[in-house]
Amino acid sequence: MSDEVLNLQGYDPFADASKGNDVGSQGTVIHIRIQQRNGRKTLTTVQGISDDYDKKKIVRACKKEFACNGTVVDHSEYGEVLQLQGDQRTNIAEFLTNVGLAKKDQVKIHGF
Amino acid sequence: MVDNEEVLDFSKKKKKSKALNLDEILDKETDEKPETKDQAVEDTDELDLSSLKKKKKKKKTAFPLDGQVDSTSIKENGEHSPEKNGREDLPKKTKTVKIVLDEISDSKDPDTAGDLDDLGLGKKKKKKKAVIADDSEKLEEPASGNEIVERGVQSWSGTDRDYMYDELLARVFDIMRQKNPDIVSGEKKRFVMKPPQCARVGTKKTSFVNFTEICQMLHRQPKHTLAFILAELGTSGSVDGNNQLIIKGRFQQKQLESVLRRYIKEYVTCHTCRSPDTILERDVRLHFLRCRVCQSRCSVATIKSGFQAVTGKRARIRAKAMS
Repeated sequence: MSDEVLNLQGYDPFADASKGNDVGSQGTVIHIRIQQRNGRKTLTTVQGISDDYDKKKIVRACKKEFACNGTVVDHSEYGEVLQLQGDQRTNIAEFLTNVGLAKKDQVKIHGF
Repeated sequence: MVDNEEVLDFSKKKKKSKALNLDEILDKETDEKPETKDQAVEDTDELDLSSLKKKKKKKKTAFPLDGQVDSTSIKENGEHSPEKNGREDLPKKTKTVKIVLDEISDSKDPDTAGDLDDLGLGKKKKKKKAVIADDSEKLEEPASGNEIVERGVQSWSGTDRDYMYDELLARVFDIMRQKNPDIVSGEKKRFVMKPPQCARVGTKKTSFVNFTEICQMLHRQPKHTLAFILAELGTSGSVDGNNQLIIKGRFQQKQLESVLRRYIKEYVTCHTCRSPDTILERDVRLHFLRCRVCQSRCSVATIKSGFQAVTGKRARIRAKAMS
């Protein structure tokens, strides 16, 4: 019976959907947020980078690139979160897309 | 019209200046229409409807300045080419309008009337109006005929040939413009919002003065808007007794505006037809946006503040937790 229906074989319309995104294995959206500290100081947090990546190495690269300090904070709900000093929102968004960690529409910038 | 400085178009900022200009022009047009009806009649024989308004303005300013010179020149025109009927009509009418506008030319008119008494100059106002009405009837006929030919609406009527693509295109656009006059200006109906007003409270807090007012304009619960703004700015805050929102941290008006714009984009405008006439309803823990124009219903993202880093003094937080 199934041999007769040739149309249904050979092509799986959901093939590329299940394969996921070709850019890395970033499944969820990366949220980039900003928090105000005292004075005109700010803090940028990056939440939602996939577990496949070593956050410490990312932070190390970011610190060098943006000339700022930064850490990795482990959170029970949100996993490992990057913290960078200063308003690095555009920098980090650019960095993530250039490196190929995430696509442009997977990076969401919050804040003002 | 609403004040340019005060009103911001949140949905499309780039088009703002252009759109406002359009509005202004439209307003001017509507303002001018009643007072310059007589002149509009005179202009109809120029056929160019789009530039009609501009010409009108120019003429209007020109009238009081060189009305006398004009009258003489027109008189000459009328004398030199009496065989052209349409040409004769035009100067006559400009003169009649002039009489209405300024009185200096009124005194001069009897002279011109002496030269061309068949044109009906120097008579009383009742007669003038009658003349204008007659002329408008004469002039409208050829004008409308030419217009149709120009647009190519009926250029194939009566002939056997196929329709040209351009003709059909022009026809369909004409019909569209007739049915929805809103599109004529080339702008969609814009969503105009008041800008957020913000004031500094002390040094560390910002007050969003017209917060509840904006919530009412957007038809959203202040609670929902508040949650979004606070989550997005990563701070805390509350609505005080004067219906203003006090946010912790220093924020400028443009910053609040960009946040508000994002809120409107996500939670107010319909994702399908972009109309702002929507209702946010809660259904099994999820928020759904229901459009009252296109009746579409789609879920919107929940508001999450996400990870919040420790920014204050750790010792103080610890002390708070202990007590």
